[in-house]
Amino acid sequence: MIKVKDLYYSVENLTLFEGVNFDIPKGKLSVIIGPNGAGKTTMLKLIAGIIKPQKGEIISNCKELFYLPQRIKYPQGITLAEYIESYFYKNNWKWFLSGEEKTKIDEALSLMDLSDKKDVLIDNLSSGELQKANIALGIVSNSDIIMLDEPTANMDLVNRIKVLDFIKKLTEKGISIIVILHDINLSSVYGDWFLGFTKNHKVISEEKDKFFTPENLKEIFDIDFKVIKDNEDVHIQVLN
Amino acid sequence: MSKSKKLVIITVLFGIMLLSLYLAIYAGYKDLGFKLVKKAFNIGNDPDSLILNFLRYPRAFKAFIAGSCLALAGMFMQAVSKNPLAEPYITGISSGAGLGIVLSVLLFNSVNYSVFGFFGALISSAVVILFAGFSRFSITKLILIGLSVNIFFSSLISFIILVNPAKSYTMMLILSGGITANEIISDKILLTLFVVALVFAGIFIPKLNYLRLDSELLETNKGKKYLYTVVIIIAAAFLTSLSVFSAGILGFIGIIAPQISRMLFGQDYRWLFASNILLGSSLILLSDYIARTVIFPLQIPLGLVVAFIGAPVFVYFLTRKGDMFRD
Repeated sequence: MIKVKDLYYSVENLTLFEGVNFDIPKGKLSVIIGPNGAGKTTMLKLIAGIIKPQKGEIISNCKELFYLPQRIKYPQGITLAEYIESYFYKNNWKWFLSGEEKTKIDEALSLMDLSDKKDVLIDNLSSGELQKANIALGIVSNSDIIMLDEPTANMDLVNRIKVLDFIKKLTEKGISIIVILHDINLSSVYGDWFLGFTKNHKVISEEKDKFFTPENLKEIFDIDFKVIKDNEDVHIQVLN
Repeated sequence: MSKSKKLVIITVLFGIMLLSLYLAIYAGYKDLGFKLVKKAFNIGNDPDSLILNFLRYPRAFKAFIAGSCLALAGMFMQAVSKNPLAEPYITGISSGAGLGIVLSVLLFNSVNYSVFGFFGALISSAVVILFAGFSRFSITKLILIGLSVNIFFSSLISFIILVNPAKSYTMMLILSGGITANEIISDKILLTLFVVALVFAGIFIPKLNYLRLDSELLETNKGKKYLYTVVIIIAAAFLTSLSVFSAGILGFIGIIAPQISRMLFGQDYRWLFASNILLGSSLILLSDYIARTVIFPLQIPLGLVVAFIGAPVFVYFLTRKGDMFRD
């Protein structure tokens, strides 16, 4: 459902992508993996249509797309529920939300385990809670593609797992998730599809089993890895 | 803050506005009192009702318009730029208006300088918005272009004042801001324009609640983001031009009213809409009352009083609730 064809993109003299082709399947959790500066965020912005490729094309047939940047600035002095409300005013010309829209907010908040924080000022939420709030924003946006740029940065292990659990749940609703993650082992547990950005400006796009091989990981990170496969599970270790 | 608490604050602000309106209309050197309220509606020929109908009412009316327009325009500019320092005059309005005023004094010796100021404001903001939109629109670019236009026109204003010493006092006085009458645009037209601008602003208030989200997050809906932003900037420019027409150039009010409102209500623009209208108009009504009474029969230019009262009030609020402004 997202098709990238012969994509070329460079910043100043630095080439990020050179003749890149890949597909991202629909309704799956796709994980983008790669070292810093490989162009992971740039790729999200390209897919989101925020920036345009210099060559090639990106075909996606989605109605609505939600992109959560890495760093977010928050409005002040409004409650969590009001923060989520903001998105509804995109198309609404009314001053007040309908009951149906309010129910959607409640549902999104309970899905993100934030129901009890509904009336708390967002200024007083923790960074983990704020990140979950942003994902709730993605849910009410009614998007068929949700893209998250390192949503688990600044989170402890428990919250990381919780957030990834929530995100995984969304794919059951037919929403396609594209997410940048740095924790390879964690991403191997949750991801359905993987995109690895290599140092020679290509993208390896595979399902889990075919993606996690020492050769691919070497190509991406330029480090030797040991990959242990145990039925469904994949364990990745760095070799010294 | 709970809804009921916000309602209480809005009611208090409404009370302050009514009190200011009372002072502006009925108090002063000629203390008219409430007994004249009825009389005022049937225009009589006695001096008291003449004062009311031809001096006090039009003056309070214009003070109300100037205050609420500036506060709303300031709120609009701060909302779309996400910068608490953005003010209504940022789109080149103050110097455009100033140039219009100075030229009208220079060329026509006109009593209609407020009309010239109005059109000067409209033209300069149109120029700035067009320049900012020529290639890819951005708020930062708009602010910088507005700044350049302001500096360019200001140099012209200073030059005109310097080479016309005979008229420079008049020019400086008018530029300090104050409520005046004119012979071209009637109060009825002004009221119509004000109501239209207010309705238009009201329609776009929910959009400000959308634009308060992170600006990069809104990038996936670029079309809507920039459409709403540009429309809101145009609305702000028009509101500011109306305020110039009503009361000349009044600095600072477009920053303090929106910021105090924000400290009181947070960034819910539906509440801020009401709060800014009430707070902005109260501040100008009160300032104008002081401007015309303190050294009667002389008048202090309104702009100076606004700054004199506004600054301490603003600093008071900042010391109380200023921790919402973090670096």
